[in-house]
Amino acid sequence: MASVSELYDVGWEEMRDKLRKWREDNSRNSEQIVDVGEELISDHASKLGDDVWIIYEQVMIAALDCSRDDLALTCLQELRKQFPDSHRVKRLTGMRLEALERYDEANKHYDAILEDDPTNTAARKRKISILKAQGKNGEAIRELNEYLEQFVGDQEAWHELSELYINEHDYGKAAFCLEELMMTNPHNHLYCEQYAEVKYTQGGLENLELSRKYFSQALRLNNRNMRALFGLYMSASHIAASPKVSAKVKKDNIKYAAWAANQINRAYKVSICKQHSDILKTTSFT
Amino acid sequence: MGEVELSCRAYVKMYLHACLFPRCSVNGLLLSSSSSAGGAVCVTDCVPLLHSHLSLAPITQLALTQVDVWCSQTQQRIVGYYQANACTSDSSPTPCALKIADKIAEQFDGAVLLMLDGSKMSPDYRVPPIVMYERKDSRWTLKDKHTIMLRQWEEIRDVASQMLDSGDHSLLVDFDSHLDDITRDWTNQKLNSKIAELCSPVNGNI
Repeated sequence: MASVSELYDVGWEEMRDKLRKWREDNSRNSEQIVDVGEELISDHASKLGDDVWIIYEQVMIAALDCSRDDLALTCLQELRKQFPDSHRVKRLTGMRLEALERYDEANKHYDAILEDDPTNTAARKRKISILKAQGKNGEAIRELNEYLEQFVGDQEAWHELSELYINEHDYGKAAFCLEELMMTNPHNHLYCEQYAEVKYTQGGLENLELSRKYFSQALRLNNRNMRALFGLYMSASHIAASPKVSAKVKKDNIKYAAWAANQINRAYKVSICKQHSDILKTTSFT
Repeated sequence: MGEVELSCRAYVKMYLHACLFPRCSVNGLLLSSSSSAGGAVCVTDCVPLLHSHLSLAPITQLALTQVDVWCSQTQQRIVGYYQANACTSDSSPTPCALKIADKIAEQFDGAVLLMLDGSKMSPDYRVPPIVMYERKDSRWTLKDKHTIMLRQWEEIRDVASQMLDSGDHSLLVDFDSHLDDITRDWTNQKLNSKIAELCSPVNGNI
């Protein structure tokens, strides 16, 4: 089977840089990371200098995600040798146990870290992930709420909590989490759009109007967000169709819906042209 | 109630959809191109819908409308709903699955609700990893296994595994992915052709 470097005609430096980019973007493209990382480690580990350790960590986590316990163990053993007493490596040991569904053992590892260092957020979050993996959503929500009381600025945690609430159909609380996220990330169109979707789902005239406003806001921040565009069309249409609104509100919303419909049609017209002139995309390295 | 038959194309696409997003819950609609004869339903195709926020309303409503329009243009109809939960230890229908299935049942009497059982999706599994529900007395109840047909299961299962191994699942476009890039085709014509090539010696009526 052709190696990554042969298939894509890249050298080890490009592979190393790609891994760094994926680290910075926090992408979860685990299959790609495993392909590139495994080759980089086995053929070029000596050239990587101190980078090799963070690459071992990145590849290990990706390997767990792809059920490649062989590769994960190799990486973990190298890290254990180099950093025998590290909490960071202990957390990785715990993650491997999670992947093998040995949750009780994993929890023991995390508890040991927390005894030593009660502020270790990574260990606390892993414990919450275990609850989620076991389907104990209610407990996960409780623990995550407690965590956020202490670590109120943790964006990742707020987003995770909003997802958990959405899964439990607790849209009011999901909206609250997204409000926190929008306050601290006012330029993030995705949070606006998700908030709008939650409001739309809650239903009722007030929520529909809020949802329309936030779909609009998402579009202002990113005018290519198709979900926001469709959302604007749908929320404005529903408001216009409601018997409870004044004639002016009805008229305004018909205008908004018409604008959105126009934008949608234009977007699809352009895309069809693109499709015809597109060359078949190969599985890309990007 | 009546018999339900799953075609190769419908099963393979559902399977690949679940495999494409192993960390998410996924869902989609089941379609039929033939009118039901004697209460029997043949699921000839499926449209993969979402892999995020399954229970949020706007995109689901949008997708249902668009699929409806496409169906009327192509002489198909929506006859059911499928879902695969992210958490493989629990393959029971979620409230949102029941809600969407209810909506479909309003338009089609013999509607079915299909749950993919993630814990049984390994390539050598002897029975199809699906649990099907039908509507009886306003409730979704388990369908009698003997009324569910998958012609030549082993061959279909092998087609699905083969496509997964060769990475064909990355060709699958669900509605979510379409919204991320509207040049991508959620009717999956390319994938359908590939499946037809592999399936045609197996299944006479696609």
